[in-house]
Amino acid sequence: MFANGDEIFKISRLTIAWLTIIFTIVWMVCWGVGIGLPMLLTQQLGDQANLANEILRAVTPVIAILVFIPINAMFMVLIERRALALWTVRKGPNRVGPDGNLQTAADAVKLLLKEDITPTGADAAMHTFAPILFFAPSIIGAVPLLAAVTNDHPLFHILNLPTGIFYVLAAGALPVVALVMAGWASNNKYSLVGGLRSAAQAISYEIPLVLSLVTVCLMAGTLDLVKIAQQQAGGILNWNLLGGGALVGLNQAIGGGGAKALEAAYPMGAVSYVCAGLLVCSLIISFWLYLTGACAEINRIPFDLPEAESELVSGYNTEYSGMKFAIFFLAEFTNLFVVASVTTVMFLGGGDNPIPPYILDKIPGIPQMVAAIRESFLCQNLHLINPETLFATLWVIAKVYGLVIFAILIRATLPRFRIDQLMAFGWKRLIPLSLIVFIIVVFAREFVNIHG
Amino acid sequence: MATEIQEIDLKTDEMIINMGPQHPATHGVLRLLLTLDGETVKHVEPVLGHLHRAQEWQGQNRTWFQYQALIDRVDYLSGMFTSWAMARACEQLDGVTVPERAEYMRVIVSEMNRITSHLLWLGTYLIDLGAMFGFPFYPFREREKLFDLLEEIAGQRMMFNYIRIGGVLRDPKPAWFDKLKAFLDEFPDRIDEYETIVTQNPIFLKRTKGVGILKQSVATDYGVTGPCLRSSGIAMDLRRTRPYSVYPDLKFDVITFDKEGDTWDRYMARILEMRQCVDIIRQCVEKIPTGDIMGKKQMAGMRIKAGEGFAAVESPRGVLGCYVTSSGGEKAVRFRWRNPSFCNLTILPELLKGCPLSDIMAIFGSIDIILPDVDR
Amino acid sequence: MTDEAKPEEAKSDAKPEEVKSEAAKPEAKPADAKPAAKPAAAAAAAKPAEPAAPPVPLEPAKFGQFLKEHGISSERLPDSCGVETIVVAADQLEKAMRLLRNSSEIKLDLLLTVTGVDSADTFDSVYHLWSYSHLDQLVVKVLTKKADVAEGELPAVPSLANFWSAANWHERETYDLVGIRYSSHPYLRRILNPWDWEGHPLRRDYKQLVDALNDKNPHSMR
Repeated sequence: MFANGDEIFKISRLTIAWLTIIFTIVWMVCWGVGIGLPMLLTQQLGDQANLANEILRAVTPVIAILVFIPINAMFMVLIERRALALWTVRKGPNRVGPDGNLQTAADAVKLLLKEDITPTGADAAMHTFAPILFFAPSIIGAVPLLAAVTNDHPLFHILNLPTGIFYVLAAGALPVVALVMAGWASNNKYSLVGGLRSAAQAISYEIPLVLSLVTVCLMAGTLDLVKIAQQQAGGILNWNLLGGGALVGLNQAIGGGGAKALEAAYPMGAVSYVCAGLLVCSLIISFWLYLTGACAEINRIPFDLPEAESELVSGYNTEYSGMKFAIFFLAEFTNLFVVASVTTVMFLGGGDNPIPPYILDKIPGIPQMVAAIRESFLCQNLHLINPETLFATLWVIAKVYGLVIFAILIRATLPRFRIDQLMAFGWKRLIPLSLIVFIIVVFAREFVNIHG
Repeated sequence: MATEIQEIDLKTDEMIINMGPQHPATHGVLRLLLTLDGETVKHVEPVLGHLHRAQEWQGQNRTWFQYQALIDRVDYLSGMFTSWAMARACEQLDGVTVPERAEYMRVIVSEMNRITSHLLWLGTYLIDLGAMFGFPFYPFREREKLFDLLEEIAGQRMMFNYIRIGGVLRDPKPAWFDKLKAFLDEFPDRIDEYETIVTQNPIFLKRTKGVGILKQSVATDYGVTGPCLRSSGIAMDLRRTRPYSVYPDLKFDVITFDKEGDTWDRYMARILEMRQCVDIIRQCVEKIPTGDIMGKKQMAGMRIKAGEGFAAVESPRGVLGCYVTSSGGEKAVRFRWRNPSFCNLTILPELLKGCPLSDIMAIFGSIDIILPDVDR
Repeated sequence: MTDEAKPEEAKSDAKPEEVKSEAAKPEAKPADAKPAAKPAAAAAAAKPAEPAAPPVPLEPAKFGQFLKEHGISSERLPDSCGVETIVVAADQLEKAMRLLRNSSEIKLDLLLTVTGVDSADTFDSVYHLWSYSHLDQLVVKVLTKKADVAEGELPAVPSLANFWSAANWHERETYDLVGIRYSSHPYLRRILNPWDWEGHPLRRDYKQLVDALNDKNPHSMR
């Protein structure tokens, strides 16, 4: 067909370079504010520094998010454009910087310097407030995720909520208000139609989205994101994607528990096995429901009707330019990232290694490497590297960006729904399906001994 | 239901939306004044003329030779056909005999042009349906190859000015035919590739099946021609029904559908037509005789004999006609284009009545108009 | 315009060339509605815009005969490239068109174009009729003498748009560019030019609004 191996290589290089830079910067900032500076202060001032240290530790996560979100969005825009270009047989941005790697940085500068226009007849206050209200929830929603994706690192432990997923969903429901506001305040009929469409769409798709997550919480028995992530530790069979704990017994049996572990996990014999199978199917469907609902929630193709370009010009953000548009743009990609992170934590085992520990430990070199890192100066004295957090974060990064790439692939493939078909699909297909899955899980989980 | 609404005196206003001329999906500068009830279209009024370049006026004020170069711009996606229509009209008037090799060359290049036009339509139509970034660029890959071939013989990528009154401009080298054959061997696979992605895509089917049904009676009333008409079940293809040039010697069938044409049928008609074009070009390449390619001397002051004549060709969009009145001078007395886009666009208000807002682009795109062809 | 310059020359060589072209490629025009006998007067005028020019009126051919049978008088003009061309009076146009379109034997149901031509002393409204199902074609003309058009008025021709939707936009365009008023047209507005455009650009007496720069430019096409 066409030779694009070169292009794939370039994109991989770009991804690795950008991700290394992003996460090094973010971690250095976090470490500096949360660990390095307090260590220094304690050394210099002793106990007098306690108050300052507490404050510093409290602001660390906020600073981490504030540093992370803009550069991450820049990277995601770039990777989206390059990946789309790869899948649509053309060249992406390849002029600014080496291989076009600085394209989005240049775009960001351009957007910030552009004139900010408020159209005549627009409600200026609401017009200004809408992008802020759109952006804020994506930051708010990202906060409790931090602890979950870093394997409950002490720096971010403070942010963990016992009702984490509930909080994330609540924050994720807010942007709709902003979209309706933006549509209404723009004094533009296309914007208005876009805003109303987004309201209708978000309300319809929130239901299957939430129900699919409730299914997972039901399996886990908790709303705590960290606990949900930690429950899934121990290889791909423990992940919520594959039965939400229904296969834990099988995993243990393979790992050395033998028939005893099987009996403990599936006490009712054949009934339990069938139920475990049902649970696996249900959770896979739940995963798919969540992805669909999330696509609709964050207005991506094939559900990007609020900003359907061929119909509504650009929907709710038609009248936005400069900074305000940049914030909309930023928030859209942050939402994508948040959704991918939630999927990772809820379904893909958070920072868990898909290879179970009983196999991993047998691979020569790996345990020694972990031990070496743990005993190194960086870990022992400076707390710069923590092997648990490091590997968890690497897996999270791989999973999250894998999902992002998947979303881009969908964007490169599918056409858009029509609004009535979209609503029919949501109400007549997804909601009944999610309810059915929910009910199956409610009953089937009683017959399987979940999580030991 | 309706009476209930009246009882509680619930009143909704109609919204008038001005779609275009600056709109990403109106294929240029068409302006549609939409009256919407919610998201349902109540009334559409197309407002034309934003791309009006007085092509007919220019035809009367430029010499024949000058105007030949201009008319590719009437329909810039299928410039060969506009040239051909004018050439045929003038040849009829002038009594020029076109050499057979030139006629074959005309068929070859215009069928190539038909493929490029349909390829562009395919890409942009998918954009209209919202596949904003994915598929649309694949047809452009093949379109580029065709344009490279056309550029090689015409010297221009889109404004060919290749078909002249009396013949064609240049005789291609034998190597050109080899390149063309190589492309023809490869192209059907590419069409299969498009079809794999698009034809049975469930979302695509949902958006196009049963949408924008064009009834035969409506089509004939509005004078619709081209793939739109044929997908509605009327087998009118000038190449077969009123064969001109060397089409009688070539084997192909008119593509029609049994049922009343919806948007999906119009899509399918064009896909099948592309496959058919490949066949036609293959036959031409095999049959093309050697010989002269020009039957009339090309010069700035050339004249066409007095009289009036109408000639039409089957362009990718329908019957492209050219009505010429000459007085034997250097310029025409009256030039009149019968543009398929202009005539096919008239059905738009009829098709859009009562459809949801999202379907406007699905239907409008499926008619395959091109604005310079509408506004001239 | 050079159309008045050499009418004799044009006439003299129009006929033989036309015959030669038809002999050379017969397959190119299978649709010729050729009358059985071409009267000698056909050679007299290739210029369509002068109905007074042919000294002897031509025998009506297929469609003229058909219309005559149904009580519509038409005048035959010399064929335009082998296509029968008839002139119909304005007040009989609608009836004639309905007949031609709906009668099962003729069924000229594809209205290709409506063209306005500003000829030397008439305004012509030219209708090209084809059929979806067979190969016949016909050119119908309605001529309005310029002398009959009052000062400041537009020549009036009955509109077909009320029963033939294909005519709708074509008539609007002709009104816009040539200035023929199609009476009883449902929505006779300018279609290509802006609504406030002055004059009708394809008229012979149309004065182009020329800006000062172009006026002074010796190379200007105008």
